[in-house]
Amino acid sequence: MSTEILLWIIPLPPLLAFALIVLLANRRNGLSTGLAVGGAALSWLVSLVVFFRVIGVEGLSTNPIGQAVKWIPTGDTWLKIGVQMDPLSAVTLFFVAWTILMIFVYSIGYHNFGQPKGDHDVPGLPPHGAIVKGAHGKQTVMSIEPMYARFFALISLFAFAMYLLVVSDNLLTLFVGWEIMGLCSYLLIGFWYAKESARNAAVKAFLTTRVGDMFLMLGLAALYSITGTLSYQEIFGNETVMHMLATSASPVFGLSWAGFIGLLIFLGVVGKSAQFPLHVWLPDAMEGPTPVSAMIHAATMVSAGVYLAIRSFPLVAAGWQPGLPLTLPMNVMAAVGAFTALFAATIALAQNDIKRVLAYSTISQLGYMIAALGTGAYVAAVFHLVTHAFFKALLFLGSGSVIHGMEHGVLHTGEHIDPQNMYNMGGLRKKMPRTFWTFLIGGFALSGFPLVTAGFWSKDEILSGVFTGGHLLVFGVLALSALLTAFYTMRQITLTFLGKARTTAAEHAHETPLTMTGPLMVLAVFATAAGWVGIPKTFPLLGGLLPNWFEEFVGSMVHTGEPAVASHSLIPLATSLVVALGGLLLGWQVYRRVDKADAADPMAEPLGPAFVVFKNKYGIDKLYQFILIRPARWLAETFTYKWIDKGLLDGILHGIARLGLLLGSLLRRGFDQPVISGAGDGIGRGTRELGANMRGIQSGRVQQYMIVAITVLVLVGLAFYYLVFKA
Amino acid sequence: MDFISTHLLTLILFIPTAAALLMLFLPKDRVNLLRWWAFIASLIPFALTLLLWGKFVPAQSGFQFTEQAAWYGVLNASYHVGVDGISLTMVLLTTLLMPLAILTSFNIKERVKPYMILFLLLETGMLGVFMALDLLLFFVFWEVGLVPMYFLIAQWGGANRNYASLKFMLYTIGGSLGLLLAIQLIGVVVGSFDLLVLFDKWPQVTAISLPLGLSVATVKAIAFWAFVIAFAIKVPVWPFHTWLPDAHTEAPTAGSMILAGVLLKLGAYGFLRLVLPLYPVEAKTFAGALAFLAVAAIIFGALAAWGQTDFKRLVAYSSINHMGFVVLGIAAAALAGNTPDAVIAVNGAVLQMFNHGLSAAGMFFLVGVIYDRAHTRDLNDFGGIWTRMPVYGSLLLFTAMASLGLPGLNGFVSEFLVIRGSWPILDLATALGMIGLFFTGAYILKALKLVLHGPLNERWAKLNEISTREILVITPLAVLMLGIGVWPAWILNVINRAVQMWF
Amino acid sequence: MIPISWYLIFSAALFCIGLYGVLSRKNSVAILMGVELMLNSASINLLAFWHYYSQIRQAPQMDSQVFVIVVFAVAAAETAVGLALIISAYRKRQSVVANDLSELKG
Repeated sequence: MSTEILLWIIPLPPLLAFALIVLLANRRNGLSTGLAVGGAALSWLVSLVVFFRVIGVEGLSTNPIGQAVKWIPTGDTWLKIGVQMDPLSAVTLFFVAWTILMIFVYSIGYHNFGQPKGDHDVPGLPPHGAIVKGAHGKQTVMSIEPMYARFFALISLFAFAMYLLVVSDNLLTLFVGWEIMGLCSYLLIGFWYAKESARNAAVKAFLTTRVGDMFLMLGLAALYSITGTLSYQEIFGNETVMHMLATSASPVFGLSWAGFIGLLIFLGVVGKSAQFPLHVWLPDAMEGPTPVSAMIHAATMVSAGVYLAIRSFPLVAAGWQPGLPLTLPMNVMAAVGAFTALFAATIALAQNDIKRVLAYSTISQLGYMIAALGTGAYVAAVFHLVTHAFFKALLFLGSGSVIHGMEHGVLHTGEHIDPQNMYNMGGLRKKMPRTFWTFLIGGFALSGFPLVTAGFWSKDEILSGVFTGGHLLVFGVLALSALLTAFYTMRQITLTFLGKARTTAAEHAHETPLTMTGPLMVLAVFATAAGWVGIPKTFPLLGGLLPNWFEEFVGSMVHTGEPAVASHSLIPLATSLVVALGGLLLGWQVYRRVDKADAADPMAEPLGPAFVVFKNKYGIDKLYQFILIRPARWLAETFTYKWIDKGLLDGILHGIARLGLLLGSLLRRGFDQPVISGAGDGIGRGTRELGANMRGIQSGRVQQYMIVAITVLVLVGLAFYYLVFKA
Repeated sequence: MDFISTHLLTLILFIPTAAALLMLFLPKDRVNLLRWWAFIASLIPFALTLLLWGKFVPAQSGFQFTEQAAWYGVLNASYHVGVDGISLTMVLLTTLLMPLAILTSFNIKERVKPYMILFLLLETGMLGVFMALDLLLFFVFWEVGLVPMYFLIAQWGGANRNYASLKFMLYTIGGSLGLLLAIQLIGVVVGSFDLLVLFDKWPQVTAISLPLGLSVATVKAIAFWAFVIAFAIKVPVWPFHTWLPDAHTEAPTAGSMILAGVLLKLGAYGFLRLVLPLYPVEAKTFAGALAFLAVAAIIFGALAAWGQTDFKRLVAYSSINHMGFVVLGIAAAALAGNTPDAVIAVNGAVLQMFNHGLSAAGMFFLVGVIYDRAHTRDLNDFGGIWTRMPVYGSLLLFTAMASLGLPGLNGFVSEFLVIRGSWPILDLATALGMIGLFFTGAYILKALKLVLHGPLNERWAKLNEISTREILVITPLAVLMLGIGVWPAWILNVINRAVQMWF
Repeated sequence: MIPISWYLIFSAALFCIGLYGVLSRKNSVAILMGVELMLNSASINLLAFWHYYSQIRQAPQMDSQVFVIVVFAVAAAETAVGLALIISAYRKRQSVVANDLSELKG
């Protein structure tokens, strides 16, 4: 089949799996596993076929493989959508395919497929475990997730959206995939929806990202209005369009339209990739089923944000050349990215929840990529995106495996402890060796352990890119956060795996099944090997041994000038060595002596109040609650509804109605009742009164009548006589 | 067959009325017979509309399937009907929603006969507005649609139905007064009520002899505002919207479906069909004001929806929010005239009308389903319903997402087109509208969170899952929501051509 | 020849006696008798004028006599009916006092 057809096919198997599970297999766990994993595997296979086909194509960045169809008629023109493969989407597709397949396989074990149903398990809550009678009497074992099929349906939909986003050839279908992922993340964070914290976290995640999405949508509308298209190729690949965008002035801040739209799109990225100040949702997203949705949010979906930032880099950097001062949007990106990298790293220092540490570390690493993009280190950003996806996926899955093992211990011992708190762990390296070694690889990759890990190469490339670009402040901040990263990573590893078990549950922790550790091992391979495709030519000793394939392949995407700089200073290299090794060593030294579950954090004393601030995440959540959410609620409930609608508008209406009633009653009382009714009533009443007064005359006595008759007759007679005859 | 094809519109228009009249002779205690009679009577116009859709030629300009017959000779008003792509879409929406609304009403147990008769009459009233090519005929149908709805709310409504139905009736009639006066002015000045004539002549009128000695521009501006206010009340545009939450909250479920699904569209349709072509100059002058009101509707509608604790009221306010986008698109077209951007905006507006008809009807229906079982609409009373009613929960989620404008479902396409079309014309208003779009998410998620999520409230431990009949109602809506979201071209083709030729 | 005025005076006296009887007696029968007296006084008037007139015209005139005979017949019938009514009333309420029969009092 031609590559174009294959591109169309890539997102479809998971979508089909989603539909089939929802419609047919929503109560059959085995079938839904088969459908979901089968769909993901098919997509993975097709993706790899496509990937290996396109990496050999010459000039792929200028002539991407793709196909478009008409989608929406707009006047005389059509809005087209389609699929395409260029170097950027190819490398993204590669890591997306791998990580997604690994998540699917891992989920089978994580959700206890094949285990008995729990006696008290209900949909909407994590399984509580089931009691089985075995050889050793009654025993509590893990029970299967009550909504097992739904979970697979949702991650299938998620996979569809991610694939759609990657193979899309335009910003609109990218946005479609982007938002469907948002929905899936909402549903997965709120997967155990009966938990109060989960449902709040789900809403928070959706709404926080939606803030960014609104700007993004506006950016798309603006871009579409000006260029008449949303296709990457027709905008970024078209010199005249880019020139027009770069030179025409937008109404805001004196930016060019390219810069303004770039900023709007960047705000979308800030939401999706959890950059400051919209980072608040990501740590809370850890409420989802450990760790799979966490991994989806942290390793895959947030990558989509950076992917978009990289895609729209030509807009942000319109008119910029290496060596020139950064454009305003680039400055904004660099500042936001660097600040986020440091800020999130400091918070990660003080967290005890194993997943929250990783969540903040993700935010920090994404800040790295954004900062790299902001300073123009395009290839380094892409490189770090790829390697980070692998090792962060590995870490998240590893942490899930740890938690799973701990839960096993908790169920076994019946202890009431938090299986996610690292202080309750310790000594797990012997209980869970496979998890330990893979986690160690992932942690070292995150810290940038020299030479063997993928993280080292990409982080080093970012640091050297920033340094050679001359952005020393950004360099300093990133180096400091790299130090912190290594430190908290080692803190995590030490607390979790090294030393002795600090709780009985940790003593009884158990290695997880192969469906969970298998993916860890696959990812561990990539967490080391993925770095070797991008070793800089100028690297001392090693440079040139392997071709720097990555730089050539992805670097061709950037039309703004020479890909990267030729000279490779030793300062950034030395820095990254020092911070990585130093941080790891420090972390080990400080935390290896923690021996009790309720021990105070050794860093709490030296850091003093700063540690409290880190631990409380700088109070940003509370601040938002106070300055944003509460005023907004007041605006909605009190101002808009009670004051404007109920008070003012309905008040006016009721006022008009009351005025009408008042007028009516005035007329009634002032005119109708006295004049019209009065006249009628008066006549009636008068007649009646007359009659009543006259009735006395009628006595019923014949003789009286007669007297009267005669009297009258006589009088009339006399009157006639005197008046008529006499006159 | 020949008769059918030459009188297609008249048949669609009056079959419901004929069925309603025949229904008078059916025994009132044979409830099932009455229900099925009404249901089948509403299916026939739908089938005919599908035929109409099939025969319609999008590329042909002007109105198609026109019929003209003498009606009010003295006033130069005639029975003149016809459809173009815009009204065809609306006719399809009406005839589609009507059988579903009647199917929804199968659970009405009291006074089934008058209920069904009113529904069928309502259908004729609404269809007439969309088909009329005569201003007086338009007005007559406009008012005809009002009366059955009043009785439906006042007789089969909730606790506060008297207040709500009276408010609805008086507000709408209040708006119609100015409309009637303006229509008569136009009719007297031009000497005809035929829209095709009026579109040609009325905008060119330069001399109006009126005793007050007002200038032509002033008179036209006043007439323009009379039209605008009448339609704005119906849409409803902020700040003329307060009748809507009350009417919706008190109306029976099917009544809410039709009210939100079709009646609100009458107002927006009035803007497109009458205001823009009849008052191009005034529309351009006052487009800014219209855009301001639209944005106010978007933002305040969303905020007020967010502030609700009554599920149905929340959905009612969401209508204001969504219809704001329709008006925004119309305002953009009013300002820009026939430019590519304006065409896109109006495409979006018309599609948004259709989409809102689907999703709002669906939402109201689903609120009705839960209300039938729980007998409360208070969001704080619900919680964890998803555990009890997984199918219902999934359907509610789906419909809510369509309403929220999730890409891949219908709402997104139209909202994006409106934003895309309005942005180059009304940039500030569009940007502000995004605030409202954000709060759209907030209130939808609030409803989902409080109804579906959370620990199961023990009161609802015995709720029944959604029934087959109810699934039958929501399925066509869901299929269309998905269909338009994935492949909007089938309907946008029709709209797009019509919009291009219309302005 | 007796002048006509004597007749007339007599008749008037008779009428007054009858009238007095009608107005002052309580007994219905007496009232009825009073009515008869008044009728008869009218008849006397008629007869007196007839006689007087016949003399003036020198020719006997029969009209008046016929008239008076009719009056007698009517009076007889009237008395019969009246007495019957009184008897009927008496049977009903054991009284013939006119003032007691005031059913028609307004």
